[in-house]
Amino acid sequence: MHAPVAPVRTSLIEGHKSYHDITEDLCAPTEKAPSLSWIIAFIISIATMSFGLFSLAWTIWFGIGSWNLNRTIGWGYDITNFVWWIGIGHAGTLISAILLLFRQKWRTGVNRAAEAMTIFAVVCAGLFPATHTGRPWFDFFMFPYPNTRGPLWVNFNSPLLWDLFAISTYFTVSLLFWYTGLVPDFATVRDRAVGFRKKLYNVLSFGWTGSAKHWQRWEALCLVLAGLATPLVLSVHTIVSFDFATSVIPGWHTTIFPPYFVAGAIFSGFAMVLTLMIITRKILNLQEYITINHIESMNKVILLTGTIVGVAYLTELFIAWYSGYLYEQFAFFNRAMGIYWWAYFGMMACNVLSPQIFWIKKYRRSIYITFLMSIFVNIGMWFERFVIIATTLARDYLPSSWSYYTPTWVEIGIFIGTLGIFFTLYLLFTRLAPVVAVAEVKHILKSAGDQYIGERAKGTQGSEAIHESAH
Amino acid sequence: MKQPSKEMWVSAQDLRNDPELLAASHREFPESSIVEELGQEGTMDRLESSRRDFLKFLGFSLGAATVAASCEIPVRKAIPYVIKPDSIVPGVASYYASSFVDGGDFLPILVKTREGRPIKIEGNSISPMTGGGTSARAQASVLSLYDTNRLQSAGKVDDGQVTSMTWDELDKEVKASLNKGGGIRLVSRTVISPSAKAAIAAFAAKYPTAKWVQYDPVSSSALLDAHQMSYGVRAIPSYHFDQAEVIVSFDADFLGTWISPVEYAKGYSKGRKLNNLNSAKMSRHYQVESYMSMTGSNADHRIMVKPSEQGGAIASLYNAIASAKGAVTINAPAINDKAKSALAKVATELLNAEGKSLVITSVNNLAEQVLVAKINALLGNDGTTVTMGDASLQRQGNDKDMTGLISEMKSGSVNTLIVLDGNPAFDQAQGAAFREGMAKVATRISCGGTLDETGALGSHVAPTTHLLESWGDAQPKLDQVYMIQPTISPLFKVRQWEESLLRWSESSDLDITAEQPYYEYVKKQWQTTFFSSQSGAGSFTSFWESTLHDGLLTLGSGSSAGSNSADVTAIASTLTKPSGGDEIQFFESINMGAGQFAGNPWLQEMADPITRCVWGNYLFVPIGWDGGNDYTFFQGMEDGDRVQLDINGVSQTVTIVHQFGLMPGTFAIAVGYGRQTVGKAGRNIGSNVQDFLSMNANGYAANVGLAPTISAKVGRDKEFACVQHHHTMGVTGADPKTGKTINVDEKTVSTLGEGYQGSLVDRSIIFRGNLAALGELEEKIHHKREEFQALNDKSLYPSYDEVYKMGHHWGMHIDLNACTGCSACTVACMAENNVPVVGKKEVFRHHEMSWLRIDRYFYGEMENPSVVYQPMMCQHCDNAPCENVCPVSATNHSSEGLNQMAYNRCIGTRYCANNCPYKVRRFNWLDYTTADLFPANEPRLNGEEIPFGADNLTRMVLNPDVTVRARGVMEKCSFCVQRIQEGKLTAKKEGRALRDGDVKSACMTACPTDAITFGDLNNKDSQLNKDLESPLVYKVLEEVNTRPSVNYRARVLNRDESLES
Repeated sequence: MHAPVAPVRTSLIEGHKSYHDITEDLCAPTEKAPSLSWIIAFIISIATMSFGLFSLAWTIWFGIGSWNLNRTIGWGYDITNFVWWIGIGHAGTLISAILLLFRQKWRTGVNRAAEAMTIFAVVCAGLFPATHTGRPWFDFFMFPYPNTRGPLWVNFNSPLLWDLFAISTYFTVSLLFWYTGLVPDFATVRDRAVGFRKKLYNVLSFGWTGSAKHWQRWEALCLVLAGLATPLVLSVHTIVSFDFATSVIPGWHTTIFPPYFVAGAIFSGFAMVLTLMIITRKILNLQEYITINHIESMNKVILLTGTIVGVAYLTELFIAWYSGYLYEQFAFFNRAMGIYWWAYFGMMACNVLSPQIFWIKKYRRSIYITFLMSIFVNIGMWFERFVIIATTLARDYLPSSWSYYTPTWVEIGIFIGTLGIFFTLYLLFTRLAPVVAVAEVKHILKSAGDQYIGERAKGTQGSEAIHESAH
Repeated sequence: MKQPSKEMWVSAQDLRNDPELLAASHREFPESSIVEELGQEGTMDRLESSRRDFLKFLGFSLGAATVAASCEIPVRKAIPYVIKPDSIVPGVASYYASSFVDGGDFLPILVKTREGRPIKIEGNSISPMTGGGTSARAQASVLSLYDTNRLQSAGKVDDGQVTSMTWDELDKEVKASLNKGGGIRLVSRTVISPSAKAAIAAFAAKYPTAKWVQYDPVSSSALLDAHQMSYGVRAIPSYHFDQAEVIVSFDADFLGTWISPVEYAKGYSKGRKLNNLNSAKMSRHYQVESYMSMTGSNADHRIMVKPSEQGGAIASLYNAIASAKGAVTINAPAINDKAKSALAKVATELLNAEGKSLVITSVNNLAEQVLVAKINALLGNDGTTVTMGDASLQRQGNDKDMTGLISEMKSGSVNTLIVLDGNPAFDQAQGAAFREGMAKVATRISCGGTLDETGALGSHVAPTTHLLESWGDAQPKLDQVYMIQPTISPLFKVRQWEESLLRWSESSDLDITAEQPYYEYVKKQWQTTFFSSQSGAGSFTSFWESTLHDGLLTLGSGSSAGSNSADVTAIASTLTKPSGGDEIQFFESINMGAGQFAGNPWLQEMADPITRCVWGNYLFVPIGWDGGNDYTFFQGMEDGDRVQLDINGVSQTVTIVHQFGLMPGTFAIAVGYGRQTVGKAGRNIGSNVQDFLSMNANGYAANVGLAPTISAKVGRDKEFACVQHHHTMGVTGADPKTGKTINVDEKTVSTLGEGYQGSLVDRSIIFRGNLAALGELEEKIHHKREEFQALNDKSLYPSYDEVYKMGHHWGMHIDLNACTGCSACTVACMAENNVPVVGKKEVFRHHEMSWLRIDRYFYGEMENPSVVYQPMMCQHCDNAPCENVCPVSATNHSSEGLNQMAYNRCIGTRYCANNCPYKVRRFNWLDYTTADLFPANEPRLNGEEIPFGADNLTRMVLNPDVTVRARGVMEKCSFCVQRIQEGKLTAKKEGRALRDGDVKSACMTACPTDAITFGDLNNKDSQLNKDLESPLVYKVLEEVNTRPSVNYRARVLNRDESLES
């Protein structure tokens, strides 16, 4: 059988999988006893999460004074981590929504895990704005609820309020999208399960029967949600960037921030997806579903967005010089040459220089280099947010108020704790749901399986031609 | 029908057996019950609330009741007056005229009381001396009243431990000791109270072996002796800085600590303000000093000499003037060439301003003081800028008396020592010797209000009242007498030392049966002295009451001094000679004095004007520049490093801070710190350098240490608390490569490589210039402001200017030329607005809460820079960046242009503080005021058991008109909104419009130099609008378009450019 696909496309599913093989391979992790490595990873994650929650309780009990923020630098680790986590979430939405609309088939290998990552990242991100307030028990003041105090409304001019709406919308839509995708897969797991697990997955799968009507509605819903999520890819980080862009502080007050933040978010998100998938595919033995081709595709996105971010950094510097505005000039001069120069150079090295290695195909397709790079990018993007927040505030208008900031153990504890929360949730996810979308992979098997396309496919002209020329 | 009841009836209807009533009487409840009502057909349809609503309300009420019941509401008891005193109206403040007296330091004040509690000090504006200015110390004195460490009764002291005893027991023991005979010695700091002097005289009359020794912790003994020698009067002349066109001060910190700084600052500022630019005139101020004092920081020129060169400097100035005037010259000790040539120019200038110049010195050596008095005499300043008819009595101490007393004590000839006032075992140059002597005295009584070093070495304490609990009077000048009246009954069983003395002397003038014996005594004194010598008032009662009301009585001036008869050649040989080696100068700090305020957290946390450090004294070490991208630091150390300081075998560990404007080879450190026997707040704060003090060869207390050795770094102050880390805005030096003058701070500002020129000075924060080029400055400000306004005149946003033109629009004007940096306003602000004290560690973490701070920038020559002070508080921007970022609208704009905080609404995102270009917002990081329910997060100032803000006694100082903020809440300057409201209400009650001057912010009233004007921008006739007309007025960061309501007037110096070498 010849697939109606251009032969230049390489295969996305390897190992001559049949539909049954796919079900077996992808459902297996939810059915087997956890491996030792999973158990060790889970214990570490729970431990770090507990430490984070302890640090959080410490903060609420003693007050923000347990952090090292000061009269000049009102935000430090808290908002740095918030923006970092929000950014990480963006890859999931991009993969699931925009790549779905663009009919990028390679997304099916990674979209499930990426979406899960989005949700867990937003959970981690949301923790920071909720607990960085001086009186978190009054956080509900942020919601525009009807009240008898006048009525007293929230300030719709405030970017923090926009943040609240943006992030809650983002979380809701991401969760719905992810769950919708999971429904047929839960049904598959259900059909194979017995006893309590059958009951559990029966509830989770909402009584999916796999009828044509179900499939039709499911596809329609996925498309609608994709349509809803698409603007969110752009809007959420745009609004997060408004926290800074609408302020008057030199180094924050920049119109370039929305595109620059969105690109940065996708950049860091893909890096985190790669970090997770490279480990996951190895441990769960999914190399045939998450192939080198997937990794290469994602590396291309990293190269693109990393370069966009690099251009943005240079543009900022140029505009600072070109503006003729002293404060702006000093702010950017200070970023590179001032007290936090190491953060700036860390950012530049990790975000701009290191991704350039992906111009070379060999490195794009190297697991080790990719893994290393994904860690670099994660670090670099953390530095970027730290540079924007702490460095800018530390040296603003009045030299009399200049200050310096280093975090306390409490702040570091909360940050580590969110990593713990993230990995705890992710590890649970790998045990509860197929980490690769079963139904969607099956959907593309005939157009992307290696028995149908690519050089190993049987009887295709393209592969024969390649085969012959190789002789 | 029922028969009418004859026995009893309840109503007319009952009496006539009304059928309706009868029918109703069968029902127990006249109205149908709600159950019946609801049971009727169709009722439910008529109701607006449905059953669902009912259940909702039920659920909510139950939930709310549960929540409310489970919260523990603290029980606060209030006891109403049984009989309301006439003078107290709850919620309305009363003001009483009184005086702040601290040894010889004096200030006429008004005490604000609320419900019988003194809570704030204001200046007494009718005083001809100060015109209403205050000092930081006076502002903070109200907190000392509520000091938890005050002694609460008389007591016996054994090895530093106090066991309380009754006053009768004490009196018995004291009298027994006094009657035993032997030497009786009274010791006090300068006493300026005529009544107290009468009490001492009465005591001396009773006990003939008694002698009274006065001393001053920072001694002016030589100054007094010089006037004794020159004019035959042992008093300090009145200095009229307002009439001086050229002021030369040798080491005298007359704006900060010397003799009468508020009075001097008032006069000084009159000669420094530029109100009329068409005939702009300023005095020229030269300061000859070794380290940068607050006064030196205000000078047009600082001439740097080592402390031991002061003698030579004064002598060379004298010689220059004497030779011009044909008087005898003397042998002047050598001084550095730079100072010498500068002083030659100063001499010419002084000679050009004969009768309109002023030379002073605080050097405590007779020869220097005699020469300075002679210089003034030669210049014809006697009678113009220096007058003796209204001489000051604010220093009367005599070093030689103190030395005599100590040797008497050491010889064992003193049997009873009564320390009336002061802490001589700690606060003076011979503290160690005094302690040694005290050990040989049998009965040692200390009248200190708290247990201090002297009290701890004593045998008895007879604690005196706080000033605000005392009766008394004060004569700071020959022609002015002031009242001291109590504003609260003594909080503890304490007794004024004057009364104690009178009781011990069994004076018949003291009516001990009276309710307030010393009050009657003072009154009697006044009746026999001041009343009988005046003629204005008819009866003593009206005389007394009007004096008490005003707080002062003006007397006729005494006779002016005769001519200066000092023989300068005789004393020339006793001039201080240059030491040749390193030297260290010990000085008095603005806040701590000689340590008497160590227990006062407001003053401990007041940032030093020059170093901007708090909670401690720091050794000033020089800072240099390597000609490249870095400053050079003393021995490569950083601010906050600890070193060992050794002089003559005495050693002490001190913390260093690098200082600009330090004469090479000189170090400096403040005295009065490192106290051990003091209230918890001050214990072990800073380093005790008292034992480095010594007497000079001529028997005067010296404040210089010779040949100090400073070790390498021995440790680090882990809580080095400094509120400003970047200190400069354009200090210049010569680039070694090009030879051009560049801004050194801009070159060194970055961590990597060099910074770029203009990165600091081109900020529109400080505008400064020189009098000679005033036009240039005017033009610069005009040009810049035009540019800034042009940048911002296009806006997408609607303009609210129309709204701001209605009603009031509060604004402020701050004259940077008048601001001396004295920090009275910052302490006043803390007192007025319940601003919490956070302690050293929290300040180290940059968590200080000051609503008003005074930014200090060095500029000008790197080696010897000038200083500009900029009081910085909320600018109340009409385009406030903080307001639009608050998600909950906790900070918003009032219709009167105030940027206001709704503390209850604030959730503490700190976004507003981030977005404030002026960084004036203060966040309650921890529970500084103990306002919340978590006891775990209340920081301690200095390891005390009960947090400072939690103590009920301390909390009596809180202003009830201002909310105490909880942790997690943002706060900032409110333009004293409570005062605005009070002013508006008063005007409303009186049925009139608010007048200019009805509302004055706390910083404005505290300022000794009237640098701050608060007022209504919409009142065309207000002083504020008049001040704003000056072309030197600008707004900080105007280009950011925040539209601040606070305006600054540029800093102008009157420098002689030719003097710069």
